[in-house]
Amino acid sequence: MIKFNSVFKGYPGTKDILQNISFEIDSGELVFVTGSSGAGKSTLLKLISAIESPSAGEIIFDNQNLSDLRTGDMPYLRRKFGMIFQDHKLLFDRTCFENVALPLAINDTTSVDISRRVRAALNKVGLLEKEKLMPITLSGGEQQRLAIARAIVSRPAILIADEPTANLDKKYADEIMSIFYSFQQVGVTVIISSHEAPQSPIQFKEFYLMHGELVKPQDVSLLT
Amino acid sequence: MFHYLRNHIQAFFRAIIRVKSNWPSSIIMILVIGITLCLPATGFLLVENASKLSSKIEYEAEISIFLNKSISQDQIDFIQSALEQSPAVKKVNFEPKIKAWEKLQEKLKINSLDAGISENPLPDAFFVTLNTLDSNIVDSLYNDIKVLEGVKEVIIDSGWLKKLRSLLYLIKAGLLVLGALLAMVLTVVIGNTIRLQTLTHQKEIEVSRLIGATDSFILRPFIYTGIFYGIGGSFVTIGLLTIIIELFNRIAFKFESIFGGLIIFSNLTPSKYIFLAIFATALGILASYFSASRSIRTIKNVD
Repeated sequence: MIKFNSVFKGYPGTKDILQNISFEIDSGELVFVTGSSGAGKSTLLKLISAIESPSAGEIIFDNQNLSDLRTGDMPYLRRKFGMIFQDHKLLFDRTCFENVALPLAINDTTSVDISRRVRAALNKVGLLEKEKLMPITLSGGEQQRLAIARAIVSRPAILIADEPTANLDKKYADEIMSIFYSFQQVGVTVIISSHEAPQSPIQFKEFYLMHGELVKPQDVSLLT
Repeated sequence: MFHYLRNHIQAFFRAIIRVKSNWPSSIIMILVIGITLCLPATGFLLVENASKLSSKIEYEAEISIFLNKSISQDQIDFIQSALEQSPAVKKVNFEPKIKAWEKLQEKLKINSLDAGISENPLPDAFFVTLNTLDSNIVDSLYNDIKVLEGVKEVIIDSGWLKKLRSLLYLIKAGLLVLGALLAMVLTVVIGNTIRLQTLTHQKEIEVSRLIGATDSFILRPFIYTGIFYGIGGSFVTIGLLTIIIELFNRIAFKFESIFGGLIIFSNLTPSKYIFLAIFATALGILASYFSASRSIRTIKNVD
């Protein structure tokens, strides 16, 4: 599904943030991208989700080399991913419902479908009763769940979450992780960046990054 | 097709929400457009009314042709025929010298004996009404008539009218330049307002982009906002012009006795108002498109 071949990422005048990254992620897998702060986890997720493009190497998504895509095709590719950002990126001048509805509006969905699917997504993350509230009134954990609802509402094939449990206490973190596990169980590919891989009840892959290099590529762990 | 329409309907409603949420500045923007457009529109209204007045006079303008006293009837017939065949001539009126003399005596309440005039001093004359004020045509006609045998003198009565028409033409040209300059000012003002709006919605633009919005999806509500400004501005202009006309007509009514007749200022035709609305809307679209697309391009994705 996703294949990195000797990918490098850097910016002019700086050392490469990611160096010679190669891996493969199959459909329906649960993947943790781990490493300390500044290891390049967020950059790697941005490359996967086509927010950034590599300096060198190739990224293949569904047999399509992303560097062959035109700029105008990028938005359509991004719609295949459900992105959960570390800082949520919620719109605080819109209600919870409107925040979750945004990807569907972008994806040209009818208002009837929007209404039905937004409520289903909010229900899935336990926020249905807060659909009319503004995100600012929600707790940190609820905001994270709202961001997850926005990511899953368009039924993406891949969920990408950048440190979704950072700044959350263990109770909220476990709640969030259980939501991700439930999606992986129904065939969604889930890629999560984190300082370290959690105790997971299900099989996952771990890509451990250190100073921009993948030190444990394709290291499959099974923790029970 | 349905997708396309749905996209536009969504953008339309998002633009309404944005205009509503920022209504004070939206109203100010609409007023600015309306008042700015009102300046050249009022000038145009004045010129239109002055033109109408001059057109009315135009049909009463004449060329007076005075004939030699010794002219024969054949020559008179020839001149009449030549005049009637000219495409620039609307009406030819021949006034024999006897009739002219009778009219003059009647008007001055005299008779030739009392005045000590032994013979009719007036010549036969043609009074020609023209259907044009084109100086080239009138001059050509003047030259043609002057060389006709039996013609003594030709007087064009429309010189002042030509000057008036030229003046109105100059004013119209000046108003067009003024209108173009004000349109540029409006483009800048609308563009700047839309640019500020893109900055206000910067986070929304960034997030939308990250989750797969195309630039046209992001751009559409801003263009609709520009359209609303244009349409709103044109309504303000129409309202202001109507008030100006009403006020002028009320004042003109008071001066009826001085002018010797009522001068009524007529409104612009519906087609001209439609043109005004289209022009203002086009300005809104152009300004918002260029400003928003430029501004959106400069907004980078956030980390």
